[in-house]
Amino acid sequence: MRGRPNFFASYEAEQGLLPTTTKKIFAVLVLIAAISIPFEVFPILDKFAEPAWLVLFNRSLIFLIAALGLNILTGLAGQVSLGHAFFMGLGAYTAVVLGGSAEGLWGLGLPIWIWLPMAGVVPALVGILVAPTAVRVRGLYLAIVTLGLVFIGEHIFRNANSIAGAPEVGREWPRLTFRIWKEENPLIDFSRDGQWFGVSLSGEAKTFFFLLVVALVFVVLAKNLSRTRIGRAFAAIRDRDVAAEVMGVGEFRAKTQAFAISSFYAGISGALFGVVVGRLIPETWNLFLSVQFVAIVLIGGAGTVAGSVMGSFFVVMMPRMVENVTRFLSEQAVGDGPVSAIADVVISVNGDFGIVSLEAQGPGLSIFQLNQVIYGLLIAVFLISEPLGLFGVWIRIRNYWKSWPFTY
Amino acid sequence: MTATMDRPSAPSTGSGYLTVASRARDWAATSPDLVAMRDKDFGIWQERTWGRLWDEVLTAAHALLDIGVSVGDVVSIHSEDRPEWIVLDLATVAIRGITTGLYPTNPMAEVIYLVNDSGAAVHFAEDQEQIDKVLEAEPGSFPLIKKLLYVEPRGVRNYDDDRLEFWDDFMERGRAHRAANEGAVEALMAQAEAEDVMTLVYTSGTTGPPKGAMLTNANAEFAITKIVRAPNRTADGKAPGTHDQVLTYLPLCHVAERIFSTWTMVGTGCVLNFAESIETVQVNLREVQPTLFFAVPRIWEKIHATVLIKMSDATWFKKIIGAGAMRLATFIGRERVNNGGNHTFKSRIAYAIGDPLVFRALKERIGMRRCRWAGSGAAAIAPEVLEFFMGLGIPVYELYGMTENAAVATLNFHGRVKLGTVGEPYPEIGLRLDEETGEIQTKHGGVFKGYWKKPEATAETFTDDGWLKTGDVGEWVDGTHLKIIDRIKHIIITSGGKNISPSEIENSLKASPFVKEAMVIGDGRKYLCALIGIEFDTVGNWALRREITYTTYRDLSEKPEVLELIQGIVNKTNEKFSRVEGIKKFRMIPKELDHEDGELTATQKIKRSAMVDMFSDLVEEMY
Repeated sequence: MRGRPNFFASYEAEQGLLPTTTKKIFAVLVLIAAISIPFEVFPILDKFAEPAWLVLFNRSLIFLIAALGLNILTGLAGQVSLGHAFFMGLGAYTAVVLGGSAEGLWGLGLPIWIWLPMAGVVPALVGILVAPTAVRVRGLYLAIVTLGLVFIGEHIFRNANSIAGAPEVGREWPRLTFRIWKEENPLIDFSRDGQWFGVSLSGEAKTFFFLLVVALVFVVLAKNLSRTRIGRAFAAIRDRDVAAEVMGVGEFRAKTQAFAISSFYAGISGALFGVVVGRLIPETWNLFLSVQFVAIVLIGGAGTVAGSVMGSFFVVMMPRMVENVTRFLSEQAVGDGPVSAIADVVISVNGDFGIVSLEAQGPGLSIFQLNQVIYGLLIAVFLISEPLGLFGVWIRIRNYWKSWPFTY
Repeated sequence: MTATMDRPSAPSTGSGYLTVASRARDWAATSPDLVAMRDKDFGIWQERTWGRLWDEVLTAAHALLDIGVSVGDVVSIHSEDRPEWIVLDLATVAIRGITTGLYPTNPMAEVIYLVNDSGAAVHFAEDQEQIDKVLEAEPGSFPLIKKLLYVEPRGVRNYDDDRLEFWDDFMERGRAHRAANEGAVEALMAQAEAEDVMTLVYTSGTTGPPKGAMLTNANAEFAITKIVRAPNRTADGKAPGTHDQVLTYLPLCHVAERIFSTWTMVGTGCVLNFAESIETVQVNLREVQPTLFFAVPRIWEKIHATVLIKMSDATWFKKIIGAGAMRLATFIGRERVNNGGNHTFKSRIAYAIGDPLVFRALKERIGMRRCRWAGSGAAAIAPEVLEFFMGLGIPVYELYGMTENAAVATLNFHGRVKLGTVGEPYPEIGLRLDEETGEIQTKHGGVFKGYWKKPEATAETFTDDGWLKTGDVGEWVDGTHLKIIDRIKHIIITSGGKNISPSEIENSLKASPFVKEAMVIGDGRKYLCALIGIEFDTVGNWALRREITYTTYRDLSEKPEVLELIQGIVNKTNEKFSRVEGIKKFRMIPKELDHEDGELTATQKIKRSAMVDMFSDLVEEMY
């Protein structure tokens, strides 16, 4: 019935991906806003059309795919994993072996429609091999086991030079193009500037569109997963695996599925990461990358797709924000502005005291280190005060207005 | 009032009198795919179309025939509101039988009385709880019951009694009979007559045992034309129709719920939504957002109290906005009250501010967002409460009627509302006040046929010239609107010889969210006293915020702070009345009143004589 948001006459209506009209409209608006960015249609949004911003958006979308994967494993099925970087690396090297074509290195030069799906399938298969350990060990121990994966992976990547290139040098990934087979000129080239339907677009913008479509597909799949039989099994395992098994949910089966699906997401993300960045060294797939995804899931809000979206954009954009703020402060520190006193304490200029220094060998933290510190702080703060993450903040705001004019 | 009093010419369709059953059949014929009712099962509102409903009714009717129910036999239904209630009700009417309903709260002794008094051959007892009231009675208590139907098998499956029959088996029996005797039910429907008794509605029995009021097909038809299809009932003037939603939650055996659920459904094609239970009414209201809603004052008072409590529990910003909105609502309410219920220019402006900010969200929360007509009846409501809802923009109209006249008496028509009155008589009905006693008397097509098997009692309720004595004393306000003073039996004559109507004083007390029950005593005494029962939720919440610790209802009632709170309410009430009508003393009722303990009737009305007996020590203490 119209205008009755709490009324459901069928389970289909109750379980709809976008159950209310408001949500449908909101989703369409967000999509229109995202598509409009490179075309510079709307004010404010057109500021983001410059390549520097689009690069960040592209990275956010790639991270989003991996974050969705970890969210399924950790948030939905409750299995802690620090091995996400390993699966991303596996995806990336599957892609480069199948799609790359550098001299002296392995590379078959196959088109995207082969290497992209395979970049998901290979990690998924490896994930299935790893899953049995998750049935044996839980919680902290599982974290340690998956941590081991990262180190094993890093060791292999560093030594398999014909796949990953030399340490500290790495290798180049194929460019983001679409070919039918190995023909010279690609059907669509997402990586070069050019015209689409009479509008000239930068390579970044084209990549952005490609990633937007891929990310959207994975978002819908992830959102849909939670309302399927498999998704409900995951949630049951998360809440109490023994109880779930008593109710007839196969623990082994569910955990294997969770690892496989999660690794598939990670692999796709890793492959796209390699392709979009262009050249990566074997050390990329290290513990720090894994921790970043844990941060995304926790800051965004474990167990929710919207949380993964917010978390990815937040974590990817944050360094840029921190950079902008420190640059602003450093300008203030030398001047006489109203915030110069604070800026002087925070920023080290010409070797005086300061928490952050912009010079290479300054006494304070570098911007990179500052970012690390902020990550750590944010994870701690969110775990303590807002376990549901950014999504929880949103829920809180929403509930405030939803319960209007009461409080409960 | 002028009295024109003819029964409506039988709206015959050439195939028997138009009964509620044949109305349902007509809906099924013209629009079989329209939704007729919904009930919530496993979290989902399951829909039943008219086609399916009528099919079930026919099958159930055949099953009744198979059991041997014949014309004029009684089928009793002892159940919470559920689709089967209405299926069985319509099926019984279809085969020219008589339905009678029992309140789910009726204790065993009353079940024995009601079933035997009505002489029911088939007794529908919903679940184990109701079945136990039959099976655990002394053997031979129910000599007339041939079949005992149940629909909730839990706990009943291993009972051993030949009379028991599960609903699905009953329907299976109906299907077999239907296949063998196609058209048997239709043939009986074609013989239906206006004067066929279609239901027995038992009076609540505040004094003496309940009496079964016989309502005929003509009575039902009259109520549908007069009340359900009353002109100027709604603000937009649109008659109730297939788009209207009704929440069914009051006991269907009561005449009010029967009219506003079953009879409205077959009369207008609106959708019935069954509330899961009385506890979930608030939640179900929010989900369904009914467009037509009838409630007893108790429910309106409860919603009113809930709003006030939740507002005072809100965070600071919401509290400030809420307080402002309440002031706005009071202003709008008062403006509208002084203008017959219509908006004035000023109130319209105030409403335009308050509605988007607070009222709309508030109405959504209490489930009244889509409500276009709401009624209050069956007891007197405090004017303050009505004014509050009017201020929020919820059109609540007070109405008056009783079982014996199929609830056809008066209604506050839209735009002609007078607060504190029960409105104007429906057009073209006979309604008069007795010149000596002021008793309201009616004479029209809705007046019942008499009490079941009680000719003397029937004779007593009619005047010599054939008018129905309602037993209520009323007076005219401005010559058009009727104001109810009280039941004749309740009027208190103090030892000083003053006539006092206790209801008005009691309602004024009950307008406070803290007071649930109030009973004024003083017949033959020097002054008035009152027994007061607190509303446990609200007073508990109030105590919590003042850090007053308590354990039980009784403990909380007797806290000195609570006594002080109630004294304040009593003082405020005393200011409104003359000195002789002032309450000198009061005592707290030490328990929550209950139907099963005999303090309340099934309709939650206080049994005065029982109360005086039960709490005689408290009463005597005050004099």
